[in-house]
Amino acid sequence: MEALDTKQFIIAYLNSEPFGIEIKYIDNIIVMQSITRVPKSQSYFRGVINLRGDIVPVMSLGSKLGIPDTELTSKARIIIVRPEQQAAPVGLIVDEVKEVITLEQNAIEKINYDDKENKGNYSIGIGKYGTDLINLLNISAIVIDKETNI
Amino acid sequence: MDVSQYLEIFIEETKEHLQSLNEHLLILEREPENEGTINEIFRAAHSLKGMAGTMGYKRMQRLTHDMENVFSEIRNGKMKVSSELVDVLFKGLDALESYLGNIQADSTEGENDNEDIINALNNILNIGLGNTTAKVPEADKKVKAAEVSTDAGNDKMKFKNIKIEDHEKKAMVKAGMLGYNVVGLTVYIQEYCVLKGARAFMVNRTLEESGEIIKLYPSAQDLEDEKYDFDYSAFVITKESPEMIAKVASNVSEVKEVVADIFSLSQEDVTSYTVLLNQDEAAAVQPKTVVKDTGSLKSGNAPTAKAAAKPVANRSVRVDIDKLDVLMNLVSELIIAKNGLISISGATDIMLDNSFHEQIEYLERVTTNLHESVMKTRMVPIESVVNRFPRMIRDLSKNLNKEMELYMTGEETELDRTVIDEIGDPLMHLLRNAADHGLESNEERQRTGKNPTGSIYLDAYQDGNNVVIEVRDDGAGINTEKIKKKAIEKGKISEEQAQTMTDKDIIDILFQPSFSTAEKVTDVSGRGVGLDVVKTKIEALGGEIEAKTKLGEGSNFIIRLPLTLAIIQSLMVIIGKEKYALPLGSIQTVENIHSNEIKTIQGKEVINLRGAVVPIVRLSEILKCQQSDTALEELTVVIVKKGERLAGMVVDELLGQQEIVIKSIGKYIKNHKIISGATILGNGEVALILDVNSLV
Repeated sequence: MEALDTKQFIIAYLNSEPFGIEIKYIDNIIVMQSITRVPKSQSYFRGVINLRGDIVPVMSLGSKLGIPDTELTSKARIIIVRPEQQAAPVGLIVDEVKEVITLEQNAIEKINYDDKENKGNYSIGIGKYGTDLINLLNISAIVIDKETNI
Repeated sequence: MDVSQYLEIFIEETKEHLQSLNEHLLILEREPENEGTINEIFRAAHSLKGMAGTMGYKRMQRLTHDMENVFSEIRNGKMKVSSELVDVLFKGLDALESYLGNIQADSTEGENDNEDIINALNNILNIGLGNTTAKVPEADKKVKAAEVSTDAGNDKMKFKNIKIEDHEKKAMVKAGMLGYNVVGLTVYIQEYCVLKGARAFMVNRTLEESGEIIKLYPSAQDLEDEKYDFDYSAFVITKESPEMIAKVASNVSEVKEVVADIFSLSQEDVTSYTVLLNQDEAAAVQPKTVVKDTGSLKSGNAPTAKAAAKPVANRSVRVDIDKLDVLMNLVSELIIAKNGLISISGATDIMLDNSFHEQIEYLERVTTNLHESVMKTRMVPIESVVNRFPRMIRDLSKNLNKEMELYMTGEETELDRTVIDEIGDPLMHLLRNAADHGLESNEERQRTGKNPTGSIYLDAYQDGNNVVIEVRDDGAGINTEKIKKKAIEKGKISEEQAQTMTDKDIIDILFQPSFSTAEKVTDVSGRGVGLDVVKTKIEALGGEIEAKTKLGEGSNFIIRLPLTLAIIQSLMVIIGKEKYALPLGSIQTVENIHSNEIKTIQGKEVINLRGAVVPIVRLSEILKCQQSDTALEELTVVIVKKGERLAGMVVDELLGQQEIVIKSIGKYIKNHKIISGATILGNGEVALILDVNSLV
């Protein structure tokens, strides 16, 4: 694991539930844009957007994680992430982005998940922040879908 | 001399020369008497040797040198081309290629001396010459009795007895007028010197540092070919004194002695040529012999030779492909910006007068032309890939012991450079397949009443926005029953599945990983890492491959590749409420069809279009767009063509033609093959590009 004692996370909300995305994955956070639907794609992909001249695919983080979709408000944001430093970017639609928090290594509880259960894979652990428990997301697993075979 | 900066050029040019040698040797094998070919081979071998020598690749130089010797004798009519010789020469070429490979890898030529090839060459040479020329003075070195030596007695200054040609006299007089010395010299090389040709070359190069060589005796060509004893003469136009020149030249190692003196012409010569020179000051045409005499050793711009203009060099520049990529990207950006301008000018019509629109149109024309020009710079004729195939087929023919001929057409068809680089291996694979699996053995062909020599065809041609490459053979064809059996054996398909499969489905099995129908694994093919790799590679290039076969008559593999990779003309349409781009290249016509003209045949909708039955594809259903509820009376149908087949695509509305930049939608999103990419419209919106070909 990392030598650093602390990690920073951005807290995004889906259906009023907080999720943490480690800051090193995040390229950019932008407001909602018009999304061009891509027919025949995976159901959670909403389509593609034009991000300053680049075509970036955008997925609904909610439907990927199996959280019921809510009506998007003006607070909705697209978080542009890269699963790896050099990888192409992907946009994740969330209901709201609130704050950046710093968690110490010992405030992160690893999850011993069952390999068979896919959902566990999408989480790298639970962060304890004050009294809140925050689900910390495994960006690579979310973006690079095993089923799509890439 | 530091030559590393020339390494890249050396590698490129060596490749070209090797390729040319390969091609011409093939011709030579068929037409042993073809003089033009022999000359061409000789030239290529010669330049190769010179280049290798300059770069200091001794082994390469030695091998080419010995090959060149053989060609030289053939050229002089002293020996005949035998198939044995051609085999050895091909081996020599392979050895040269491996040297080149080493050079490319770590810029050294490696340690392999290829003695066996050199010996074989020399053997052939000795045998060949032994029959014709009675006395070969030094058999091991194959030096023909040099025709030098006008026997100058004890006089070491042999140059004084050499006959000077008219044009050379003229040059000397002119040099005198310009205040240069004409120095004659005779160079004596040590008798033990092994590479006399190279030595002479070194001396001459040294001489050229202090002046200009105007005449060599024997000629530069002969010197390089070692067709001289151990001395030769040269005339140099220089500012230096004869002593200085002699000193410089004798500094080259293995030079025994150099004698030099001012060379002066007779008084009458001087006067007559001075007159002549004044007459044709402009010096229109210099006799070609100047170039011939001094050959490649001499760079042609002596004060004299200014008229002997070099033949117009190849007017081309080698450019790094990365630079072209950058240029292409910039053109793409420019087109997006232009599209943005156009959409602004359409939206806000106030404040914009006609001249603005004129300028926009002008800009549009320029960017389109710019794009085309940049595209063209990236286009390379397919020849550069396919020209190695005749050689390959020849070798295969020998290896497999089958008679076969390769017929190629459309080598001039052009493709994007990046595609060219990648297409070689798949094509090679298909050809190997055709040679090994496709064609039957000669006996079998005879039995079935075919021409015993098998034919393989490689045809390339342009079809709309695609380039099609077909690899065809007139062999046994693909036995679908055999594939079925094999597929069931390997558990790829079940018995039941096999029953219902069409021939086309079965042939598609061939493209699946690790499936080979060959009974035995040969060197050539049959390891089962074949067609699937070909297919993957071609699909990675945005192309597709299809196989057709007829039992007993042969198989045909058809590769379709996109002509352009980045920018295309497209027809913008609306389907449902979404904008899509259809590549214009595959569109035949656009028709308005009344809904009652649509008939249903075998559950498929078709229309009768001027006598042709054309199937109808409802794009909105395939793309699952939101349908407008009102069923329209009048349908807009875009007719697309793929090869011979037509299909009609129903769209809701036409928006017009637009130049678009193709962008990938990335690999995260599951990409149905109907969507070939996306593009950014002038207003910043993203529209998807439909690959209508995949629906035909």
